[in-house]
Amino acid sequence: MDDIYLVTVVSNIGMISFIALSAYLLLVVGEISFGQQAFFAVSAYGSGIATAMWGWPIWLGLLWGALLAGAAALVVAIPTVRLRGLYFSVATLAFAEMVRLIFEIFTYQVEIDGELVGPDGSDGFRDIRAIYDSNVSAFEYMLIIYGLLAVVLIGFLILERSRLGAIFRMIGEDPMLTEMQGLNVTVYKILAVVMAGVVAGIGGALYAHLATYVEPKIFNVMLGVHALAYGLIGGLGTAFGPLIGVAIDIGLLESIRAISGYRMIVFGGLVALLLIVRPRGLLDEAAVHWLRGRWRELRRATH
Amino acid sequence: MLEIDGIAASYGNIQALRGVTLSVEEGGITCLLGPNGAGKTTLMMTIAGILKPRRGTISFLDRNITGMRPSGVVRRGIALVPENRLVFPHMNVHENLIAGAYLRLGKSKAQVRQDVDHVFARFPRLQERTKQLAGTLSGGEQQMLAVARALMARPRLLMMDEPSLGLAPLVVEEIFRIIRDLHADGTTIFLVEQNAHMALQVAHHFYLLEQGQVSFSGKPGQLSEHEVIQRAYLGKQQGRDQSATDRDQPDGTMLRSG
Amino acid sequence: MVDFVQNCLDGIMLGSSYALLAIGFTLIFGVMRRLNLSYGPSIMVGAFVGTLVYLEFKANALAIAAATVVGAVIVGIYVERLCFRAIRRGAAVASMVSSFVIWMQLEEIVTVVFPDRTYPFPPLVSAAPVELGPFFFKVENLVMFACAAAMTVWLHWLLQYTRFGLALRAVSENPRAALFMGINVGAVMFLAFVIASAFGGVAAYLIVSADGQITPLFGLWATFKGLIAMMLGGMGSIPGAILGGLLLGVVEAQSIWYLGTEYRDLSAYFLLFLFLVFRPGGLMGQLAVEREQAAMRRV
Repeated sequence: MDDIYLVTVVSNIGMISFIALSAYLLLVVGEISFGQQAFFAVSAYGSGIATAMWGWPIWLGLLWGALLAGAAALVVAIPTVRLRGLYFSVATLAFAEMVRLIFEIFTYQVEIDGELVGPDGSDGFRDIRAIYDSNVSAFEYMLIIYGLLAVVLIGFLILERSRLGAIFRMIGEDPMLTEMQGLNVTVYKILAVVMAGVVAGIGGALYAHLATYVEPKIFNVMLGVHALAYGLIGGLGTAFGPLIGVAIDIGLLESIRAISGYRMIVFGGLVALLLIVRPRGLLDEAAVHWLRGRWRELRRATH
Repeated sequence: MLEIDGIAASYGNIQALRGVTLSVEEGGITCLLGPNGAGKTTLMMTIAGILKPRRGTISFLDRNITGMRPSGVVRRGIALVPENRLVFPHMNVHENLIAGAYLRLGKSKAQVRQDVDHVFARFPRLQERTKQLAGTLSGGEQQMLAVARALMARPRLLMMDEPSLGLAPLVVEEIFRIIRDLHADGTTIFLVEQNAHMALQVAHHFYLLEQGQVSFSGKPGQLSEHEVIQRAYLGKQQGRDQSATDRDQPDGTMLRSG
Repeated sequence: MVDFVQNCLDGIMLGSSYALLAIGFTLIFGVMRRLNLSYGPSIMVGAFVGTLVYLEFKANALAIAAATVVGAVIVGIYVERLCFRAIRRGAAVASMVSSFVIWMQLEEIVTVVFPDRTYPFPPLVSAAPVELGPFFFKVENLVMFACAAAMTVWLHWLLQYTRFGLALRAVSENPRAALFMGINVGAVMFLAFVIASAFGGVAAYLIVSADGQITPLFGLWATFKGLIAMMLGGMGSIPGAILGGLLLGVVEAQSIWYLGTEYRDLSAYFLLFLFLVFRPGGLMGQLAVEREQAAMRRV
């Protein structure tokens, strides 16, 4: 019993990490998105429809969901990416809420084995059973989640050392200066939004198949703002930051059951205090720089 | 009048003052010249009470004003014409002037009204634009407004931070004519400039600030203009990178942490 | 045609409460240049204080309203100290996220203290709707509209004709320059927060008493209605906040009538999205945005 509980909590940490990473990527380019849950939702529904209604294999369903999320991100990025600051944030919020409200009225059902399957407006989308039908255990699925998370994380780490990553950070620091270097900020920002959409999409597809049931209200703005907060709690210096944020919130506080009813009272206060001392999170750029230096020293000492 | 003794302060990570000592004589025009990033603006902000110095003392009219709040400094009689002018863009010219007299508004409205008339008499161009929003004025007019606004505080010492910045040569001439006029009417002026050529024509005494320290103090003519310009524009180490320094972060920046 | 006009009238009444919320939002945003996500939740707590006074003491309407406003102001001060004053300038994202976690905190405090899902809130007036030709007006809506109008006039006077108003405008235009004038920027920001919270408290009282009940979800609702109305009107603009609130109300009323309740929020967000894409400055703030974009193009 407790094992299954643990597997569920750890799986949740993994899935939420995708959306946190997705919000983090946009923070790196200096944009705040309140709307990453939209891509999470699009992929959850899209992949669910593919596997439960069209009978696609899981892996193809996941891929399809992620691509759909990327496409949705492209659609939202093109008109909004030239907006700056709060305007962009609120535009992503409006988009995400539109997506959620459309799912509230979106009905598309087919009859499979005498039962209606598919999204049914605010009643949600039941029986996304692909992983159970193919006998994947909860533990194995957790490994799949973390396998994919590892792939994405390695992608982030490579990105951070690449020219593209450097350009992203530069745009985040000073878009005008970047523009003056002859780089097309708009194109890079669209790219970042699409990449973030795909990352959130992977999480959404994984989520739909673990939960087997999705409903629109899961994807409300709270999910998006939490994702954003994780990045800022863990730190904006490295892709590990958002993961730390997620782990602290879900993992640590879920495990201390004594305060379960007062979780946000304690957690909210602690985070507010943390942000006073470290406005860019635990692992901010300076901390990461310092840690890298230590790491190099350590390696030199052991070699 | 203004005595600065061994001030050390920093603004961001770049513009640090490392023990600056200088003084401003009553009734004169004192200039502070120096390259970008030497700490000129940091010094202005420290005197104005925006930054707290780590070491050193600032006294004005024989009273210690080190670490005093900005409102206290204005009340003692120091007004600043800030770098980049910083007029209130969506307020009209008249409102900008009234804002300059903010600390006196509670006491004497009539006196403030009188001062507005005085300022308009000095700057007829502003009077023509009383109801115009400050953001729609030309650069030179905005600079005049910034000076006029500072005068509304009835300062005994007027500090000006790079009033010629970004202005066309003809407008710069006009700004310096205004500086001379103000001085002729008895205002003490402490001028921070990069335009050494113009500054040396009006200064009675000048200081060179390099890398957070005063490197020269004297009267115009004691150092050749060529040498002053060399040092004021380039610093001792010629050609060092200055692009990252002296850039003021706009206050309106939204939702970006930095 | 009668329907359309009636919807507009209903929308304007509804919109006047959005306008009050948006004014509070825009005041805080105007002086701080930061988003206070905790705005709705703080006035929600205020409304729960009002409920408490009502349930415990059977107090009259005035006392409940006062308790609501005082509660909202006290929580507002808590948010200002913790999420805005204490976080250094320049770290606007940190302030926003901080105000978000405090939102979560406030909501949980309320659900711990008030474990039921909804609580009753006494109506301010209970009278039959007023009929005027073919049109109907609910009395509580008329009261709401009148209060919103009166408070707007008062705020206009405060901003345009008082020394404090001058200081507040100066701070919202350029805090650095305001400091050079000798204006106590911290105190002005604090007072702006207090005024915004008081406006929010009045708005909360009027809205909740018209609904007859209060839930912790009111916080989320208020934050987003206020935010949308502010953005529609133009950030930092008081006339914009009013127009934005009324526009939002009218659009919602029309879509409820012509499309159905489930389209109410959808059309509001759709309108917001269109505005942001084609006219990001909203009804009133377009100039500033255009200037900024022009500056971007020049480089």
